[in-house]
Amino acid sequence: MRPWGKSAVIGPLLVIGCWLLASVLAQPAPTTPPPDFSPRVFEIARELRCPVCQGESAAESNAGIAVEMRRIIAEQLAQGKSEAEIRAFFVERYGDWILYKPPARGLTLWVWLSPLLGLGLLGFGLWRYLVRVGAQAKASVTDVSDEEIARLEAELQPPERQP
Amino acid sequence: MLRFWPIWVLLLGGLFYWGMQRPNPNELKSVLKGKPAPTFSLPLLEPYRAQYGAEMGIKQGLNKPVFLNIWASWCVPCRTEAPLLERYHQRYKDQVLFLGVNVQDKESEALKFIQQYGLSFPSVYDERGRIGIEYGYYGVPETFIIDRNGIVLDRHTGELGEAQLQDYLRKVLP
Repeated sequence: MRPWGKSAVIGPLLVIGCWLLASVLAQPAPTTPPPDFSPRVFEIARELRCPVCQGESAAESNAGIAVEMRRIIAEQLAQGKSEAEIRAFFVERYGDWILYKPPARGLTLWVWLSPLLGLGLLGFGLWRYLVRVGAQAKASVTDVSDEEIARLEAELQPPERQP
Repeated sequence: MLRFWPIWVLLLGGLFYWGMQRPNPNELKSVLKGKPAPTFSLPLLEPYRAQYGAEMGIKQGLNKPVFLNIWASWCVPCRTEAPLLERYHQRYKDQVLFLGVNVQDKESEALKFIQQYGLSFPSVYDERGRIGIEYGYYGVPETFIIDRNGIVLDRHTGELGEAQLQDYLRKVLP
């Protein structure tokens, strides 16, 4: 008698598979938007800060103000406004602070440029260092007098060729 | 360049320290400062309708400085500042309009709050906080100081203290 028939293995596997599938379907993905707003609303809201939250975008937060921001975005999309126009609406009221990616101008421009400036300074420092080391090596060669070079060459001669 | 390393260390340390300073939300300037206050008209809460009509808001021709106070009944600092606002409304009601905007709240809770603190200055009801967003608010309480020409002079985030209120009054009163 075979202890494990095919059906004895497939049966429990099927049950486990169905159970896993059911549990996955029962859990909505965290980014799934509620049915009343389109995913595009959340895409735009994701770029905006929730003013009353700590580190949450207007898409993630369920604070009243974030919900209202999403409602405003949905209304403006329905009116045919572009994403840029909708972002501008919030910037007019909150300033660039409301944007997760503030435009590169003023102080923000320096923040964007600082890595490049840092790399430039590092490159400059390295170049200066290499130039100095090179010059020192060259100088140490030219500083040796002809007399010393001749003596050194004589010392380097093989013994049998020496007089 | 390496000879000046203490200066570089100090400079970079200073830059790091400056960068680590989180801005105090109370110091976030309103982009509306110096600009005309957004106009609106919202339904007044029931206790004020007999005296002020069905709706009230910010509109042209008010010819009075306005202290626009955004509040909610669930907000603890709002409870602390409510008696102060009432006291100053009683004292300055002929010269200044104290106007409350109740946001993100249940109307019944707002009415209880008004009754509890005996607030006689008018408050409008903005359930979703739409007007708050029009003014770029960060939370409650928040007070916008608007001069007699309808220009936003300042924004106060958080609970309003008596000294601060007096300062703002000096700014708007002749």
